[in-house]
Amino acid sequence: MTTATSRTVNTVLGPVPADDLGVVAIHEALLSVVPGAEHAYDISMDRAEIFEVLAGKLAAFRAAGGRTVVDSTGMFHGRDVKLYEALSRSTGVHVVASTGLGPEEDLGGYFLTPQTDPPTPWPAEKFADLFGREVTEGMVVPRVERRRAAGLVATCATRGGPTPTDESLFRGAARAAVATGVPVSIRYGADPLAELQLLLDEGLPADRVVVGNLDRTEAVAAGWPAAVAERGAYVAIDHVGRNDSDHHIRDAERADLVAQLVAAGHAHRVLLSGNAIGVAKGHPDYELPYAHVLTAFAPLLTSHGVADEDVQQILVANPRDLLAVR
Amino acid sequence: MSRVNTVLGPIAAEELGLVAVHEHIGYGMPGSELDTQWWKTPEQRYEETVPKLRRFAEYSREYGGCTFVDATGICNGRDVDYYKSLSAKTGVHIVAATGFVGGDTALRFFADATVDYLMRQFVHEITVGIGDTGSRAGIIKVGVSRGFRMRELDLRIYRAAARAALLTGVPIFTHLAVDVEPALAVFAEEGLPLDRVLFGHADDGVSQGRVNETAILGGGGRIGFDTFGYDLELPDPPFWGRHRRERLEHFLRLIGEGHVDQVLASADANCSPLGWPGVEGHTVNYIYEQLIPDLRAEGIDDAMIHRIFVENPADFLTLTTN
Repeated sequence: MTTATSRTVNTVLGPVPADDLGVVAIHEALLSVVPGAEHAYDISMDRAEIFEVLAGKLAAFRAAGGRTVVDSTGMFHGRDVKLYEALSRSTGVHVVASTGLGPEEDLGGYFLTPQTDPPTPWPAEKFADLFGREVTEGMVVPRVERRRAAGLVATCATRGGPTPTDESLFRGAARAAVATGVPVSIRYGADPLAELQLLLDEGLPADRVVVGNLDRTEAVAAGWPAAVAERGAYVAIDHVGRNDSDHHIRDAERADLVAQLVAAGHAHRVLLSGNAIGVAKGHPDYELPYAHVLTAFAPLLTSHGVADEDVQQILVANPRDLLAVR
Repeated sequence: MSRVNTVLGPIAAEELGLVAVHEHIGYGMPGSELDTQWWKTPEQRYEETVPKLRRFAEYSREYGGCTFVDATGICNGRDVDYYKSLSAKTGVHIVAATGFVGGDTALRFFADATVDYLMRQFVHEITVGIGDTGSRAGIIKVGVSRGFRMRELDLRIYRAAARAALLTGVPIFTHLAVDVEPALAVFAEEGLPLDRVLFGHADDGVSQGRVNETAILGGGGRIGFDTFGYDLELPDPPFWGRHRRERLEHFLRLIGEGHVDQVLASADANCSPLGWPGVEGHTVNYIYEQLIPDLRAEGIDDAMIHRIFVENPADFLTLTTN
């Protein structure tokens, strides 16, 4: 109860006491723009409209009892720090924004084919510096200014397994986290244990990592959620509300999975999220409320025998412990 | 009526004056905007850029004006509102490009796009405008990704560009003229006359021995000697630099062989680079300060210089539909 009281979390409006976070939606997107889509001739980037839609969704989340939304899409997928500041101010929802890049196909040529001879892709230490400075010096508004510190480093591996550049991104993210004290979010590509190990090899404690995508059908079949928890990392069951995907388990199975993890003593390692997208540009909308976990899935957990204190642990304490800067 | 799209609106080709056909106000690879090491204040950007453009305009008085063709494609820091302010204040006509420097500078949204979507993107930017600027692109940039090998995405962009060029009448210029056979095949399949294509960077130091000039010239294409000034004689030349004398002799050789109407020259300089250090001492004004004097010294007369820098680029840039 008091372990995190002196700790703070980096939000877009500055550090806040970790105990003030309340219910956290941990793996979400606010404005999500496929890199380049902002230049598309047929995509509108009307800021007032984007703000209005996001503000409405954040207000609904708050009305349902939510207090904090984490935009875990990194620094190059539509992140708009000044927009998020205004949204947080106007809705009262804490917004934690992320630094980080990935997977490789989402990077720009600056990182992959730089103007050097030969065009060697960026190594881990350069990514570590880029991400680390977004924490120590602030998140960038490209070519204009730096704002507040990033609250986490988010990266993602290529489906099918990390490319060499993905591996550099993972190692760079881990080094930045070790240096600055923020956590890392990874979305695994093929093998969450091996990909988690990349971060641990850099000296990052396992409890500073959240591994996403663990409600994929293959992940559950392989027993990876429990295995990740046993390594000491956080397990993100992060497609709650998605019941029409051949690649993911359904909510009833998610509830069973959570109950099993809790029964195995992993309640303090479970995180729940919907991968909701506030506004999507360049890819399909995904109209899941940020409060879906809180309003629809938490009651399901109760009916699957998960105790209220474990639900609170998962929705409040775990994200607080993860996000608190060390 | 001869028209060329500039950032301040269409103008008659007769108004272009001397044309620098492949230049950059500022180029940065996509993602460089995230790296603060390259950031400049707006004051610095204007301070680095305006004097170069004003000097370019002053040098060009005898030609009736000048035109700066910006070869910075989508995703590389192209900033049309900025170009408009520069053009309005300096009197230099600026032509903006749609398209991409190469597949490796097309971000994921475009890398995942079909030929048809890419074509619509280019056509929109040429006929309606770039973003919400109202400025129409006057040329399409395409190119070969790093590594000197045409990739599938590069070719998808070439094909979309060929279709957009046929529909709208703007020309195409390329980043690199290496591995040109697949490009020639695409243009042939799409029915685009090769005099609408300028195969660029055929003169740079790293492309020598890799450019099939015979195929380009034989098909009626244009060859870009557009890295004039990236001389190995500079204090800190880039890896694509070449000895000044060697490049000049290469250019003169093609003119001597009767290809003067199939070559265009430019400096590919950055007024104020966005995502790389740039090359100290190299500007668009190399055309006036070194190249034209070198050509005169080699016996190229004023009429020929006019043909290379005024008439032929005007012919190339003029919107041409058949």
